[in-house]
Amino acid sequence: MSNPKSNSITTKITELDAQIQWFYSDEFSLDEAESRYKAALKLHQEIEQDLSALKNKITVLNVAK
Amino acid sequence: MQPSSFDSASPVPRFSVSEFLAITNQTLNYAFPKLELVGEVSSFKVSKGKWVFFDLKDASGTVSCFLPLFSLRTALEDGMKVLVSGAPKVTDFGKFSFTIQSVRPLGEGSLKKAFDLLKDKLTREGLFAPEKKRPLPEDLTTLGVISSVNAAGYADFIKILDARWGGLDIRVYNCGVQGASAADELIRALDYFNEQGTVDVIALLRGGGSKDDLAVFNDELLVRRIAASKIPVITGIGHEVDVSLADLAADVRASTPSNAAELLTRDKSAELRRLRGSFSSLKTYLDHYLSTLLETRRAALARAEREILSRLSLIEKELASKRAVLDSLNPENVLRQGYSILTGDPSPGNVVKITTFDKLISAKVTHVQPKI
Repeated sequence: MSNPKSNSITTKITELDAQIQWFYSDEFSLDEAESRYKAALKLHQEIEQDLSALKNKITVLNVAK
Repeated sequence: MQPSSFDSASPVPRFSVSEFLAITNQTLNYAFPKLELVGEVSSFKVSKGKWVFFDLKDASGTVSCFLPLFSLRTALEDGMKVLVSGAPKVTDFGKFSFTIQSVRPLGEGSLKKAFDLLKDKLTREGLFAPEKKRPLPEDLTTLGVISSVNAAGYADFIKILDARWGGLDIRVYNCGVQGASAADELIRALDYFNEQGTVDVIALLRGGGSKDDLAVFNDELLVRRIAASKIPVITGIGHEVDVSLADLAADVRASTPSNAAELLTRDKSAELRRLRGSFSSLKTYLDHYLSTLLETRRAALARAEREILSRLSLIEKELASKRAVLDSLNPENVLRQGYSILTGDPSPGNVVKITTFDKLISAKVTHVQPKI
């Protein structure tokens, strides 16, 4: 029923939002900041690529009327 | 049909009453298997909650009409102009009647009247209650579309959907969206998606058209089916100003098919802009955070430096003070002022040692007396 590709992008966007939010949270630590920033940047690039490659699938049903 | 009691002596056919009614109906059916009549409703009434009777009239004639109540899919009232389709028939009691298969209001005034009457009725039944509305899923993945694939509204919908988002599995039930059979086709499409249960949302779409073209979306059975749909329904029918009963029964009403596409999907361009904006804000935030952090440390260091210097200065002053005290106590300084130090026993005849600033003197004591 669901489209895994679209779901995956939605999940990635949610994950990226959470990753960015970490920098503003109380959990922020300077020691982890650099690696986390790089990871978020990589995820952002992935999302950009996924979104540009994503296409809708259209099926006109062959329903007996 | 041959008369059962044909009298060869009679120059004209002779029938029993039943035979006459049967042959008359046969003749009517042959001549008018199905036809449409236009007229004004008069003496409208519903009998026993099952049957609908009214007269259809124009300036000089009247035809009695009949139909089962379940076949009436619009609201009717005396004075409304309607188009009815059906077939003429003579009843067993010899009454001429028009048996209606379908009836629909004709003309703007009647369409409006039918809309208002049915809207009132269905509102009272709670079909349009706000608490019945379900939100569209945030992560739409499978979409059922009911529309005519040849319609401009459908093309607009798909175009905008493709531009805004991707990865959707869109299943299109192609059917007529205007005309006599459209309401039934739309109902079958709704039933299909509800029976299959494989889509997250059903989008019911039709581009702009005349009031008459859009009247199918005020069909009572269709409106009830939309309200009863297990799957959330979004409508995008006509233009912004067109509001149908189907719109009121749907979970979400979009003003047009294009607007339906906008309501169903996120805009990937906007999403990308948002994510880029988030990163830009994060970068600015981190730059500010780091510069503030460094500035704070720098300021702390400067404070520490000032404190150290201040303490050093105090210590230096303290040392200088002690040095001054020490200096003042130094015997050399006393001798420098002209004083001398006598050592030894200062008794007459003894030799004592006298130390001045720059000399060491040995002297013999000749006389000693108390100082007064």
